[in-house]
Amino acid sequence: MTATVSILRAPLGVFGAAALWAAGAGTCMGAQEPVGDTSPGLALRAAKVLVCSSDGEQTVVDHGTVLSRDGRIEAVLPRDVEVPEGYELEDLGDSWLMPGMIDLHSHIAGRGYNDAVYQANPGLRVKCTVVPGNANLRRALAGGVTTILYIPGSATNLGGEGILLKTAPTSYEDMVVRDPGSLKVAQADNPKRWGYGMNRIMLNWTVREAFTRGVAYAKTWAAYEAGDWGKDEPAPEVNPQFEVFRALYSGAAQISTHTQVHQVVLASMNIMKGEFGLDVFIDHGTFDGYKATGRALELDVPAILGPRSINMQTKGRGIDTDGAIMGVAAEYQRRGMTDIGFNTDAPVVPAEELALQGAMGARFGFRDEAGEVVRGLTIVPAEVAGIDHRVGSLEAGKDADIVVLDGHPADPRSAVTRVYVNGELSYDAREERLF
Amino acid sequence: MKTMKKQLIGGALGLSLALSFAAPSLALLADDHEEDSYLAIVGGDIFAGTGEVLRGATLLSKNGKIEEIGYELILPDGCETVDAHGMRVYPGLVALSATTRLTQGTFAAGVEIHDFVPHEEHSEICGDCGKSFEEIVPPALDPGEFSTEHLATDAFRTDFDDSFDPFSGYMVMALGNGITTVQQSSAAVKLKRGDISGVSLSEKTLTSQSWSGSNPAGKADLREKFRLATEYLADYRRWEEAVKSDKELKEPSKKGIDGRILDILEGRTMARFSANERADLLGIARLAQQFKFRPVIQGCVEGWTVAEELGRAGAFAIVTPRTRRDRSETTTHEGGSSIENAAILTRAGVQVAVVPANTSIDMGGISGRDLLSLPLEAGFAIRGGMDERAALESITVVPARLLGIDHRVGTLEIGKDCDALITDGDLLHYQTFVQYTVVEGKLVYDKQEEVFYSHIRPRPEAAVDPGEEVSGEVESVEVEEIVEEESDEE
Repeated sequence: MTATVSILRAPLGVFGAAALWAAGAGTCMGAQEPVGDTSPGLALRAAKVLVCSSDGEQTVVDHGTVLSRDGRIEAVLPRDVEVPEGYELEDLGDSWLMPGMIDLHSHIAGRGYNDAVYQANPGLRVKCTVVPGNANLRRALAGGVTTILYIPGSATNLGGEGILLKTAPTSYEDMVVRDPGSLKVAQADNPKRWGYGMNRIMLNWTVREAFTRGVAYAKTWAAYEAGDWGKDEPAPEVNPQFEVFRALYSGAAQISTHTQVHQVVLASMNIMKGEFGLDVFIDHGTFDGYKATGRALELDVPAILGPRSINMQTKGRGIDTDGAIMGVAAEYQRRGMTDIGFNTDAPVVPAEELALQGAMGARFGFRDEAGEVVRGLTIVPAEVAGIDHRVGSLEAGKDADIVVLDGHPADPRSAVTRVYVNGELSYDAREERLF
Repeated sequence: MKTMKKQLIGGALGLSLALSFAAPSLALLADDHEEDSYLAIVGGDIFAGTGEVLRGATLLSKNGKIEEIGYELILPDGCETVDAHGMRVYPGLVALSATTRLTQGTFAAGVEIHDFVPHEEHSEICGDCGKSFEEIVPPALDPGEFSTEHLATDAFRTDFDDSFDPFSGYMVMALGNGITTVQQSSAAVKLKRGDISGVSLSEKTLTSQSWSGSNPAGKADLREKFRLATEYLADYRRWEEAVKSDKELKEPSKKGIDGRILDILEGRTMARFSANERADLLGIARLAQQFKFRPVIQGCVEGWTVAEELGRAGAFAIVTPRTRRDRSETTTHEGGSSIENAAILTRAGVQVAVVPANTSIDMGGISGRDLLSLPLEAGFAIRGGMDERAALESITVVPARLLGIDHRVGTLEIGKDCDALITDGDLLHYQTFVQYTVVEGKLVYDKQEEVFYSHIRPRPEAAVDPGEEVSGEVESVEVEEIVEEESDEE
């Protein structure tokens, strides 16, 4: 058996952060007490701290302490460093700490929608349907999922704008991590049912047509904003249908594309990244989508996989595995992909079972030698969505989204006992056990 | 293996006759020893499923039954061996409510197999189906030549032996995930590979009864059936005593008595209720206590709120620990699902069997929720506080018990069927694979010899017994049509 926590690298980054913090603290706390800032910091001590650092190294700090204040992480202290004054110390004993998990394919922040009037509806906004604090969000939180990309369904080719949300806050404004979160595109499969004659050629034509208009719109606005615009020219007209392309064109948001089966994955990447140069990630990527890994690496397209975790011989899709049951994540990894994350497509798989998606990856051959499973639940999706400056790891400056567990997160036997979001205790199993 | 052994013995016989030094060999033949087949699982950590763990022990099977478990066993000549050093040995898993594809492969009907229970009375052959005996007997046969005595013979005992597909790829996948016995409708069926004889362990395991708050008349009706049956049994017992002195006394009439309720009250079968709501669960518990039977409650989602009562009723519960159900806002009671359900029920004395969220095999690729995830589901029970031993029992001996087949399967104990798994680690860990599966003393699955999982963390050569042909008897099966149900992602 592979050990649950595989590699203990020297936590240089952590020591570095701690030292940096200590250096800053002397001046900050000694000389000038910040006026009005009396909120005590939080110090969470636990048996294992899974840092999931951005530098690609998985760091596990044994008997570490995570310091946070005002909703932000300040440092991870190794075991022999004293907790400074001004912090409330919570000793969590044998618990494990990890960053809040991130699910980049979710439909549970509200009723969602699947409006299928047109094949291309890039302007529809799922944010209008958010119901803060709903039961499914609470369960996601109880499963350690603190951030989701809430997206439209896949009834149409261009489904609309998704939004990145925290699961815990009870007001919409506090939930938003980024708006727009993504443009949801669905390739093949479901949008083919939209009407007669909808096949892959038609869908790809629709994507190109909408993207051509959308990117032209974004370029116009970019030129206007850069001042590259005639003095007497009126400002460009706002077209809600294409607003999302401004975010895509500037790199502020990505395309999350429902795409499965190798041919569809190839076409999706080639069109969106290859032809239009927009950031896209493979969403689902399942069945034998992994055969497209080589092209994904060339185009620098990451993969957020699930909820199908295995690929079997499937009649009618031309997929032949000679009977073998192939682990989807394992096959991307075997072909050289390193940016692999997991999703649930909740409620297809319950939101609280995100960690299980990682477990299933590992079961079916995804190597978990340097924390790949935990990283695929945290920092990888954070980087893929471009929100790693805020979430995805327990590093100084990031939001204090911290999950407390009684064991390895991928093991169904381990329970989430507490979840802190923005430094606030947002779920406490002692009060109400939800998962 | 068997063939080779016969040849060896044949050779010995020839030799002994030639040399006229026959006594020991003839004694051997007189004992019919050439029919005995042995298999030994050597050197594994044996988790017997009873709580006992024997580290580095050996389990010996003789003719499909467990002959011995222990250390330094002397293995009979010609004993087939499976090297389990560094591995773990568990009892075969018992899967409740399993998809019929497991036992019937591609021949599976689209609907569940009907309950066809031979009975003494014509009218009760098919329970409540309302058909006469003549209607049930195929029209080509003359009912006059065909009595219920025929139906009671072995040849007519079972639908399962006859419809069993011993080369089903689905079955091999189930074996590869540790499942060796399944419940199919009211029957318990052994997953025998390459063999259709004796696959049916019991055809009268559970009798479905209904108890629901949404059907008050049905509740009253069932209570009345139990009352009448109880009265009948009391009358019958009184008559049994009285008839000894007065031979003329007439036996009490069975008229109007539900035969299935008699089966329940006399312990020939168990009553299964599908119920989740607190009030229904309480009703079932009280019905069971009043009429003195042990109910099997499938679902039992709110069981944790009335666990003590269910424990006192001696209930069995079939639960899916991960089930989600919102608490009803119209009640002030605790309610809804709880991940702690299985644990709380167990602590209250309820025997808990675990079934996964989905009891079919998901060919669309969503793993971790289907029948093949049985140990994983038990893992969720542990998440909710169940101890590891109870979790193992929830997928082995408890389901065996409620099916009434625990004298055959569910634990590794001497005299029981030798249905065993050999795993590369803790059965309840998500990365653990079944390396070998043994059913009734025959090696029927070897991970490295099958197409399904052999490429995933291939077993190190060292773990394979050198020189041992471990899978000579079974052929690898290819699955062709495997699209069962594709849930559409959004």
